[in-house]
Amino acid sequence: MKTQLLEMIRKDIGNFPGMPGAASKLLALLNNTETPLAEIEAILRYEPGLTANVLRLVNSAYFGISKKIGSVRQAVLLMGWKRLTQLVLASCVSAIMDKPVSGYDLVPGDLWRHAVAVAVASEGLAKLLNVGGVEEIFTAGLLHDVGKMVLGRFVEEHRVDMEVESYRERSFEQVEREIFGMDHAEVGALILSKWGLPEDLVLAVRYHHEPDKAPKPLSTVDIVHVADIVSLMIGIGVGREGLQYEVSNEVTSRLHLETRHIERIASETLQWVHAFTASMQPE
Amino acid sequence: MSGENRDLRSGTIYQNKGEHPVGLMNHIVAVGDMKVGANGDTLVTHALGSCLGLMVYDPVARVGGLLHAMLPLSKINPQKASENPYMFVDTGVPELFRQLYEIGGQKARMVIKAAGCGQPLGNSEMFKIGERNYTVLKKLLWKNNLLLEAEDVGGVISRTVYFDLSNGQVVISSKGEKREL
Repeated sequence: MKTQLLEMIRKDIGNFPGMPGAASKLLALLNNTETPLAEIEAILRYEPGLTANVLRLVNSAYFGISKKIGSVRQAVLLMGWKRLTQLVLASCVSAIMDKPVSGYDLVPGDLWRHAVAVAVASEGLAKLLNVGGVEEIFTAGLLHDVGKMVLGRFVEEHRVDMEVESYRERSFEQVEREIFGMDHAEVGALILSKWGLPEDLVLAVRYHHEPDKAPKPLSTVDIVHVADIVSLMIGIGVGREGLQYEVSNEVTSRLHLETRHIERIASETLQWVHAFTASMQPE
Repeated sequence: MSGENRDLRSGTIYQNKGEHPVGLMNHIVAVGDMKVGANGDTLVTHALGSCLGLMVYDPVARVGGLLHAMLPLSKINPQKASENPYMFVDTGVPELFRQLYEIGGQKARMVIKAAGCGQPLGNSEMFKIGERNYTVLKKLLWKNNLLLEAEDVGGVISRTVYFDLSNGQVVISSKGEKREL
C-alpha cells in the first residue's frame, strides 16, 4: 500500500503548480555577482500586477523604510536586488499558499501566515544570534511547509491510522513517513527542486524537522527549525497535529540558543507578521 | 470534524447544534489579547499552543473574561508589555481581574479555569514556555489566595476554548473533539 501511496504522492508533486515565469526568471539571476538591474526591470516591465504587489511589500512596515518607494529601480537601490527577488517570490507563492490545507486542518490563510511567521522569525533569530551567511533564510522560512499542500489530502484520508496511541510520542513527520513513505518536508523539497531553487533552500526545507540528518550542518536549517517550532507554539498556523514535533538539542547547542532568545523572538513575531501581511491587502 | 472547526473559526454561531455554548455574540480573542463580557456573550480563542488561556467568571454578576497570554514574564520585552500587557502572564492576569472588578465582578466569587500551556516533543528546557506560563499563573493566584477550579493544560495538542458568559461553561475543543472543563 505504501508503494501505491508514494506513487500517488509523487504524481501530485508532478502536478503541483510551477513557479510563475517572472519569479523563475528572476531566480535564475541569483548566481550573478553584479546587480542585474536592467534584466530585473525588463522582466518586471510586463508584470504590472506583480510589480504593484511587490512594491506594496517593499513599502510594508516590516522593512521600515521611511520614504515611499515607487519603482523597481528605487527598490533595488535601497534594499538590494536579492531582497527584491525574495519579495517577487513571496508575491508569487502567496496566492498558492493562501488556500486551506486539509488533513492538517488549516483554514484559508493559516499556512500563509505560518509561512510569513517562520520567515520573519528566522530573520529575527539570525540577527539576534549574529548568524551570518543566511541571506536566503527568509525564503527558506516562507517555503518550509509547502509540502503540506500536497500531503494534506493523504493525511486527511489516513487520519485514523495516524492518530493511534503508539504514534502520540513520535514527531509527526516520522508518522507521515511511516504511513506514506515520505514526509511533508521531503515533499516540499521535491517541489522546490522542481521549481529550480538553489540547493541550500532545498536542504533547509528538506531537513527543517530533522536538522541532524542534513548532509552538512547549515545555519539556515537550524534557524528555520527553531523559528518553525516557536511559531507553532504561539499558535500561528498551528494545525491539527499541534506541537507534535521534536526540538533538536544539537541545534539549540549549535546556535548557543537561550530561553531569552526564544521568548524575545516570540514576543516580536506577531507584530512582524502583521507588518508584512497588512501591506498585501489591496488598498 | 474539520469542517466544523473551520466554520467555528470564522465565527459562525451554531444555534441549532446544541453542542457548543451559544451566545448572542461570539467574540474572538486573538493571541496576546484579552476580552471581558457579560451574560449573552461567548468568548472564543483559537490555537492555544504553549500560550495560556485563562477563563475567569463571576456567576452572580454573570461577567467573565478570557486572556490569551503568550509568555510568562514581561521583563523579556518591557516595551511590548507597556504597549500590550495581555502578551504576558504577569501583566495580563492582574489586568483581567482589574477589568472584571470594574464591571461588577467580585474576587471572592471568581471561578478560574486554565487551558493551553502545551509544549513540543523533546527534552529541551528552554522550549517549555507552556510550563513556565503555568508556573507564573499558579504563583500569581497563590499570592492572591485564589485557586484554579479546573484546568486542561500541557501535552502537544492545540486547543480552542469556548467560554459562555451566560453560565460560565467552558468547552475545550481539540482535534475535532469537545469536552467541558
